[in-house]
Amino acid sequence: MAAETKLSHTAAMILQAIHAGYVYGFSIMEVTGLPSGTVYPAMRRLERDELIRSQWERQSIADAEQRPPRKYYKLTAAGKTALESSRKRYPLLERLFPVEEAQQA
Amino acid sequence: MNSMMNPVFRAMDLSLLHAASVLLPADRREEWLSEWKAELWHVADARIDRSAFCWQAQREVAAFCLGSFADAQCLRRQAWDERTKAVNVHSSATQCLLWLALLFVLCAILSSLLPGVRAEYDTVVHPLRPNLIRIAATDFNDNQQPSISYAEFQNWRSSYQRYFDGLGFYRTETQTVALSATHNDKFTVALASANMTSLLGLSVRTANAAADGDKNLPQIVLSYEMWVHSFGSDPHIAGRTIRIGEQIVRIAGVLPCGSWRLPVHPDLWLLMPDAQLASINRDNPGYVVAHLTKLGRDVMDSERISVMVRGMGDHEPFFCGIAINNNAAGPWRIYLFALFLAALALPAVTSLSMSESSFSSHRPSWKQSMARWLFLGAKLALVASIAYFASLDIAYARVGGYSEAAELTQLMANFLLCLFGFRWALMDQSQRCPVCLRRVTHPARVGLASQTFLGWNGTEMICTGGHTLLHVPSLPTSWFGAQRWLYLDTSWEFLFADLTL
Repeated sequence: MAAETKLSHTAAMILQAIHAGYVYGFSIMEVTGLPSGTVYPAMRRLERDELIRSQWERQSIADAEQRPPRKYYKLTAAGKTALESSRKRYPLLERLFPVEEAQQA
Repeated sequence: MNSMMNPVFRAMDLSLLHAASVLLPADRREEWLSEWKAELWHVADARIDRSAFCWQAQREVAAFCLGSFADAQCLRRQAWDERTKAVNVHSSATQCLLWLALLFVLCAILSSLLPGVRAEYDTVVHPLRPNLIRIAATDFNDNQQPSISYAEFQNWRSSYQRYFDGLGFYRTETQTVALSATHNDKFTVALASANMTSLLGLSVRTANAAADGDKNLPQIVLSYEMWVHSFGSDPHIAGRTIRIGEQIVRIAGVLPCGSWRLPVHPDLWLLMPDAQLASINRDNPGYVVAHLTKLGRDVMDSERISVMVRGMGDHEPFFCGIAINNNAAGPWRIYLFALFLAALALPAVTSLSMSESSFSSHRPSWKQSMARWLFLGAKLALVASIAYFASLDIAYARVGGYSEAAELTQLMANFLLCLFGFRWALMDQSQRCPVCLRRVTHPARVGLASQTFLGWNGTEMICTGGHTLLHVPSLPTSWFGAQRWLYLDTSWEFLFADLTL
């Protein structure tokens, strides 16, 4: 997808959340307040457009914590560029969940 | 309600996920379920208190699971879009070239399997000696019939010759050949003078020189077809003995496929010394082959030469020498000639203009123009290649080797396939969008026929990518004689947003 892609506010929020360190579906739901029926389809579209990519957590890590493995999401280079242009379009985006907050969490 | 209800609700939540997964394509279902089950575990872990039952928490978890339907629908739509993209290959340049390439490969494979085509190629590899003629009596209307007796041949050969430096005789008869102790069959046997193969310049395949056998026995040379069909292409055939009638003979080798160009196609050649040939063939007519001297070549008139035989007493007969077609160029010679004829005739069967008119700034780039010309070139090259192999397939489908009828068929088929193939390629090109090379579709009749020819009427077709509109006039006029392309501007793009270009 082209770098100048105009993202919806929801998609921009999800990108910002992933960038801030909320890297799996449920945590993105929690931080954005969006329902699952919005977050997951939006992430599918972002992944299709190669703005984010997903990766399964290693089974050994999940086993050590006695939980099922999670699917983690990460911004691609195109995703970072799209997020940059979205921040210009939605100036309050960065204030919603700053990076520091997630990294401390 | 107590915490015992939690497993019931958990089962219900899982059922919701499984129900949603039915919407997905089967190949994505497992991974999708794994992700949602993992997420559900985390949601339940965060929301549900295991020691007590809470309606609010269960409702939130159920709401989370209901969201899986939207996600499954989204993925289903994506899968559908991907399939649509695949379908959009339809009528594209790639699809056209793939079909042509497939046809080309099929024709080439078929031609490689036909023995007649292989024989044609073999004639290039094993050409006949040049300056050979076949001699027949002039009073024979059909010069394929044997017309010269061995007595005449012998007298002739013993006299002084200016035109020929080599003469050979052969006649054919059907004889019973014992291929093995239990297997007899009838074959056409050529009783030929011993110098026949060297006179014709045929290289006999003696596959196993070590297998000498009895060298005093008369020698025979097998035709390629007999070697294949009666001896199963045995590479150690040379030196074996078989029986022809009552005579035991030794196989000297095999003639190359398609190398024999003379009347009657014998199954095997019995090479005999002159004395033996004279004793059994003295009055039976046969065929005479001669090799021309330089003087003989000089007096050849349009592939024919008249020969009077002297030294035969009062009887001095006239004979006619006919050049043997060497065909050393193989099928290429005919193909190139047919290609040339088709190129000459092409303007007579098609009147296309590759010009275009633009009414907007949405013109194709030079790269797109280059791709368009490359596509046309590839199509023409593939059509020409298909015509080459298809014409060989048609000509030699039922012919095992060289024949004039097969050559004529090849020429005609080649010409017609090239002519109409090129015509199709140009017509097809004229209906392909200059931007994306897809065929324009959805023809719509526009306008009514005008008695004064001042109103335009014709057919409009549109590119499925939304790049162009093609106007084809029904009745060419001085002001609208040829088809025109109208490049659509970007305002049309929203109509074709879902198409992959």
